Amino acid sequence: MEVTMDPMFLAWSYFRRRKLQQCSDICTKILQENPYDQAAWSLKTRALTEMVYIDEIEVDQEGIAEMMLDESSIAQVARPGTSLRLPGTSQGGGPTQAVRPMTQSGRPITGFVRPSTQSGRPGTMEQAIKTPRTASTARPVTSASGRHIRLGTASMLTNPEGPFINLSRLNLAKYSQKPNLSRTLFEYIFHHENDVKNALDLAAQATEHAQFKDWWWKVQLGKCYYRLGLYREAEKQFRSALNHQEVVDTYLYLAKVYQRLDQPITALNLFKQGLDHFPGEVTLLTGIARIHEEMNNISSATEYYKDVLKQDNTHVEAIACIGSNHFYTDQPEIALRFYRRLLQMGVYNCQLYNNLGLCCFYAQQYDMTLSSFERALTLVANDEEQADVWYNIGHVAVGIGDLTLAYQCFKLALAFNNDHAEAYNNLAVLELRKGRIEQAKAFLQTAESLAPHMYEPHFNLSILSEKIGDLQSSYTAAQKSEDSFPEHVDTQQLLRQLRQHFSVL
Amino acid sequence: MSSMEPSGDGGKWLDAHYDPVAGLYTFSSCVDLADLSGDGESRLVLGDLGSGSSGMKLKVYRGTALMSESTLLDLPAGLVAFFMDLHEPRIPAVAVASGPCIYVYKNMRPYYKFTLPGLEVNTLEQDVWQQVREGQIDPLTLKEMLESIRKKADTPLSVRSLRFLSLEPDEMEEFVQLQKQQPIKRQTVITCIGTLKKSTADEDGVSCLVIGTECSDVYILDPEAFIILTKMSLPAAPTMMDVTGQYDVEFRITVACRNGNIYILRRESDKPKYCVELSSHPVGLVRVGKNMVVGCTDESLQGFTQKGKKLWRVELPAPITTMASMDLPTKGFQAVLLGLANCEVHLYRDKNLLSTIKTPDVVSSICFGRYGREDGTLIMTTKGGGLMVKILKRTAAFEDRDNAPGPPLAQSIRLNVPKKTKLYVDQTLRERENGLAMHRAFQMDLSRLRLAAAKAYVKALESSLTPMSSSLTEPLKMNAVVQGLGPSFKLTLNVQNTAACRPVMNLAISFLYDEGLYRMKNPYMRIPLLVPGLIYPVETFVECTSDKGISDIIKVFVLHEGRSSPLLTAHINMPISEGLMLN
Repeated sequence: MEVTMDPMFLAWSYFRRRKLQQCSDICTKILQENPYDQAAWSLKTRALTEMVYIDEIEVDQEGIAEMMLDESSIAQVARPGTSLRLPGTSQGGGPTQAVRPMTQSGRPITGFVRPSTQSGRPGTMEQAIKTPRTASTARPVTSASGRHIRLGTASMLTNPEGPFINLSRLNLAKYSQKPNLSRTLFEYIFHHENDVKNALDLAAQATEHAQFKDWWWKVQLGKCYYRLGLYREAEKQFRSALNHQEVVDTYLYLAKVYQRLDQPITALNLFKQGLDHFPGEVTLLTGIARIHEEMNNISSATEYYKDVLKQDNTHVEAIACIGSNHFYTDQPEIALRFYRRLLQMGVYNCQLYNNLGLCCFYAQQYDMTLSSFERALTLVANDEEQADVWYNIGHVAVGIGDLTLAYQCFKLALAFNNDHAEAYNNLAVLELRKGRIEQAKAFLQTAESLAPHMYEPHFNLSILSEKIGDLQSSYTAAQKSEDSFPEHVDTQQLLRQLRQHFSVL
Repeated sequence: MSSMEPSGDGGKWLDAHYDPVAGLYTFSSCVDLADLSGDGESRLVLGDLGSGSSGMKLKVYRGTALMSESTLLDLPAGLVAFFMDLHEPRIPAVAVASGPCIYVYKNMRPYYKFTLPGLEVNTLEQDVWQQVREGQIDPLTLKEMLESIRKKADTPLSVRSLRFLSLEPDEMEEFVQLQKQQPIKRQTVITCIGTLKKSTADEDGVSCLVIGTECSDVYILDPEAFIILTKMSLPAAPTMMDVTGQYDVEFRITVACRNGNIYILRRESDKPKYCVELSSHPVGLVRVGKNMVVGCTDESLQGFTQKGKKLWRVELPAPITTMASMDLPTKGFQAVLLGLANCEVHLYRDKNLLSTIKTPDVVSSICFGRYGREDGTLIMTTKGGGLMVKILKRTAAFEDRDNAPGPPLAQSIRLNVPKKTKLYVDQTLRERENGLAMHRAFQMDLSRLRLAAAKAYVKALESSLTPMSSSLTEPLKMNAVVQGLGPSFKLTLNVQNTAACRPVMNLAISFLYDEGLYRMKNPYMRIPLLVPGLIYPVETFVECTSDKGISDIIKVFVLHEGRSSPLLTAHINMPISEGLMLN
């Protein structure tokens, strides 16, 4: 007779090896035989939760509703350096827009794409509902929908016979009395079912049962409040949880609340306070660096990323950010070092080769430049990446003076990504060199409408209009360029020249 | 409590009064200070422009309070206080120039109205109106005749005829009925006004009025009889003037004109004696001692001698809004006050900036003089209708700041050039040693890449993947914008003809999409004739029918009638529909 393993033990083993589907299947079998097996039930909830779990700290997506109808920020017109909302208040002395490109919100682009780096606050409703170029989905209406709902529906699709736990028939009061079941149940409701209101109910009753002394439940309450947009309540819960027990997670959640409330300075202080208890904690250091980066203070962000690397020398985000910073501060050879380090660590994708190619070119290591781009082209996952690679090859082509190749590359970039405003702008300059003014003008106008935050199309259009004698349009375009990049000296000169022209009799 | 921000004037001025909602809309030419009741206390007299069409008022302030106001019939062009007789007590009259008239107020009551003499009327025009009165011609014929007169004749038409020509046909009849009985007149309007002492240079000597008119004349009026003493003519319409001297002895009228020139008139001749041609339009004219200071629209301040020789020129940080002179005879101090568009008031003596006053709003009029019993009072009104009174401290002393030339500031700023790293040196060494191999590798890669790019480009061209077509007959460009949250999206295609001058016709747009996912209102559209250079937005609505949170690509083709291959293609990455998930 064959000796079978105890199914419960097997399920545990699967769970530990993260074979979650098998684990859940065995638990289902156990529960069919004995519906009251609490251990199996609890394990199954955990397995199902783990399947869809995404780090709650990192997921942050500001929806249209949060951005346009924001009531929680304290000052509408904040002092410079105290708000995440005021772009262009650079105090770090980093490179200007002329060297380092800006995102739509007026911050320099970072070396690492993470949630909310690509967003920024749009100025108008129209900008908000336009599909942004970098994220190929539209912005969610509120942060409560968007990604969370999508995950929820995905989990529903996998269970054709209906949900595992029917939440509406659950006696939450009963479960909240049982500490051994209530935690897994909470995580299931919160992460798998995405039913924040029921999760909040359960957490509230459980924390009452624990006589308001359990920090874990307080953190969960805070998470629920955060999801519901009740930031002040969430802050209270996290603060109280920190009084019971110092946990890194709690610091991170609380800092998230402060960032949402647009109080970056408080968040920074909190991180530093956390560092006193947990010296050298990488996540806290990264948090500080990110806030500095968002506040345009690139040099101190880099300092903190360096601290991160001292603790954890395989931190991809830190390496990428320092690398891009070196690239834009005119030290491509050092950037090249950092990107090579990423390559050694096993990051092997199109973006990395794209960056490597560009770094090699600017660090004069010509033999590796084009082969990097070729490899990037073989690694592309979607059309947008392909467009970016062709765009960079176009830059190299401009650099070596092969304008025909550059023209083809920019056109290819546009073929793969119709909204590539930078390519439109560069193509316009090439067309202008060929003397095709109408084409150049049309491309510049398109670039302008696609990316109103870039100053280059405005400025180029202004120069073009000035050359063909259309001073009025030149002036309006120059003013737009000044709006998006007030320190640009050439724009200033052009404006001065135009003003002089207008005032002369 | 909000603390007063230091206004950067070195504590030379006391803030006496500031009322941001005084509701005063006026310019420097309509502000004056005068002892209107003869009690030794100066009042502030203002011609308020109101909203520009109504609410024109003559206002008098005493201290911080409005003392009296009376309605004006028309927009005031200028306002001066002057002594018109030798009666005791010495009370000045106020002359307000508006339209073709000067209204003279004494004790703040209307006293006399002087109207400029009418101008010569075109005889042809007179004949035409005569015929209308006799009922010989109808309004439409009248219009034609007046238009032909306007084109040919040397003398311009009267205001009535011009008004008639601007009417709609159905309003003409009524207008003619109303106006035809009145005799026809042609009048000019006053553009600026000033005063000129008659025979003595005393403070309270009798003054003549000097007025400049739209038809480029300058008149000097006798203050008692209001008859024209002298008429002088200019080459252009005057906008600002400054008068000095005495009528019976010798005088000098400096007039800034609308053609950007400044003319200087003297007693002997009725034509300008000197002329200054400016490089841009003047916005302010002030005399300091024997020199004149002119502010121009090109953000500059220029000094001239009284014979029109240019002395100096300084650049200003912002456009000038108004100018006034600051004259403090007790200290022998004369300077120019400039209101700037960046909310500052600058004080210049010659070309030296003495002090800067920061104001909460842009200043639209400035007046300096004796107000109440205080000699050095600065009165300003702002663009937002505020009234500001500042008093010069008796201890205040202005020093000429010495702007000696030196090396420019930019010379001492250090450039942030990154250091050459060791890595860079190493790499350069590598480049020097293996130069040949690197060059060969690069050239080989380059040829390969050129080939790859050309292949991809040809492929893109053959399948018209690019969003612009470079064919010579139909150079088109298109870009698409998706708006909306779903399930309904708005798709806007901006099509532009980039040819130099040839229109494009017979185009159509069609879409290719997954019919299980999307539904489109009209998947085939015709494009109108495309005029070169203009952007034509073509809009359509797309509905997402799936609730699974999936998105797809929609392909857009621009087609030419009778040809199977598309002119250009655009791929639209549709966003995920959020709308269904909300409920």
